[in-house]
Amino acid sequence: MKTEFNDPLSYYKHLTLFWTDLMYLMANKPASLLSAGPMRNFATNIKKISSEIIEANDDLVEFNTKFLDYYKQLSDTWSEAQKKVNEKIPAIPNDAERLEAYKRIWIDIFETDFTELFDSGKFGENYGKLVASELELTKHWNNIMSVLLQSANLPNRDEIDDVYKQLHDLRRKVAKIESDLQQKGEQNGK
Amino acid sequence: MENELKIDPRLVEEFLNFSKNIAEAPKLVAAPDEMILETTPYDVAYTEDKVRLLHYKPLTSTQNKVPLVIAYAIINRHHILDIHPKKSWVRNLLEQGIDVYMIDWGSPTNIDKYLDMDDYVNVYLDHCVDFVKHESGTDNVSLQGYCTGGTLAAIYAALHPKNVKNLVATAPVIDGWKDTTVVSNIAKHVDVEKMVKTIGNMPPEFMYYCFSILKPFEQGLEKYINFFRNIHDENYVDNFLRVEKWLGDTPPIPGELFKQWIKDIYQDNLLIQNKMYVGGRQISLKNITMPLFTQVAVGDHLVSPECSMPLHYAVGSEDKTLRMYPTGHVGMIASSFSQKKVLPELSQWLKERS
Repeated sequence: MKTEFNDPLSYYKHLTLFWTDLMYLMANKPASLLSAGPMRNFATNIKKISSEIIEANDDLVEFNTKFLDYYKQLSDTWSEAQKKVNEKIPAIPNDAERLEAYKRIWIDIFETDFTELFDSGKFGENYGKLVASELELTKHWNNIMSVLLQSANLPNRDEIDDVYKQLHDLRRKVAKIESDLQQKGEQNGK
Repeated sequence: MENELKIDPRLVEEFLNFSKNIAEAPKLVAAPDEMILETTPYDVAYTEDKVRLLHYKPLTSTQNKVPLVIAYAIINRHHILDIHPKKSWVRNLLEQGIDVYMIDWGSPTNIDKYLDMDDYVNVYLDHCVDFVKHESGTDNVSLQGYCTGGTLAAIYAALHPKNVKNLVATAPVIDGWKDTTVVSNIAKHVDVEKMVKTIGNMPPEFMYYCFSILKPFEQGLEKYINFFRNIHDENYVDNFLRVEKWLGDTPPIPGELFKQWIKDIYQDNLLIQNKMYVGGRQISLKNITMPLFTQVAVGDHLVSPECSMPLHYAVGSEDKTLRMYPTGHVGMIASSFSQKKVLPELSQWLKERS
């Protein structure tokens, strides 16, 4: 089966997956024979780590795009604000009173322009996407850590989350039972 | 020489003084970590998980019959309401003869990530109110909520109206779509589902980011310049560091609570439309029929007045008061202005109804 790729990223992805898969298949039997305990788990799970790294690369591209947009918004706003300051006061004064006035004007203009930016839909939208792409990267890191923890026979994040959830449900049940008992006690007392 | 640079000698002097102040600062000022923010004595009356109910010691021989329970916000800690003896919200109320309790929500950790609005309103807040009722021998309490605590208090009053004699909402977050602050802009665009699923609790760093875009030049630059300029002014420095320490103490917010908060209040704006559910029960603000006192700050850049005021018009109360103060979010609760104007009005209002 021949595969074709339109862009270098897809090709790189395919290439990495191909060799990871192939090496995994080739190494599976010798690895099973030679490794024991945690290392055996690790040998089994290493493919998951490769997949996560490949996907993280995709998300890194998205993150970088949004990150650049974010800094562009900041630097554009800075340039515009500085232009306004320059129009108002062309040269930085060198006496105390006028320098104080310059500082005040500088802060007021910058504050107004940046607040306008932070209030804008375009900023909110890009920031939301930037955080989302950052979270995607975090997710891959979490998944890699889970594989490593699993290899070391330690509970991973999902398993601990289950414990938290069960604890929370138990707390609620206990609180409800206590409250019901208290109500019954009060009714009997009456 | 024509190109000679002429600098005002006063500027040089100011620069030298400023540098000297920076060098002397560590000798003159305590490190924020060394400062104790609580100023008014209290007993821990009740605890549940990480939540503490503080009962402040009375400062008058007689007290109002109906105690006041303050539900602090879920952002930062309750210390701002007792930040300085001369600017303490709590102390002022105590001096007016009001019996004050305060809910300290504590610092949630990963184990608390599944705590949601239901837990905060129908478990923690409800249990605190029950405790106060029992301890004070009253059928109900006055309930005050500040900022996000104002929202929790309003939801509680709608669900448990019999327990609340008077409701005080101080800068509450009510109508998320009308909020014009930069914080609400971020809240409306963040993928909160993904954030909670990936990270768990709302990390303090996210909150610090939100703080950083609020007046970034005045708050992020100028105030520190002023701090070093005024380093010899003991009062100024003390106030500054107390508020700075409070600002920097931001506990995480439990993931599920944060998710419901952002989605239901800011993104879908369900509360003001009476479409929000907490613990399986629909919240109707019309169920708030007790006397209501809404306090709004005109210069609030964290919760805009347009976001808070709709509470006044949405409730079923006949006895309701809306006050707008020419100050900011923190200025309304921890300033000389709040001592002179905001608190006397509140104390008077409470006394007339307790």
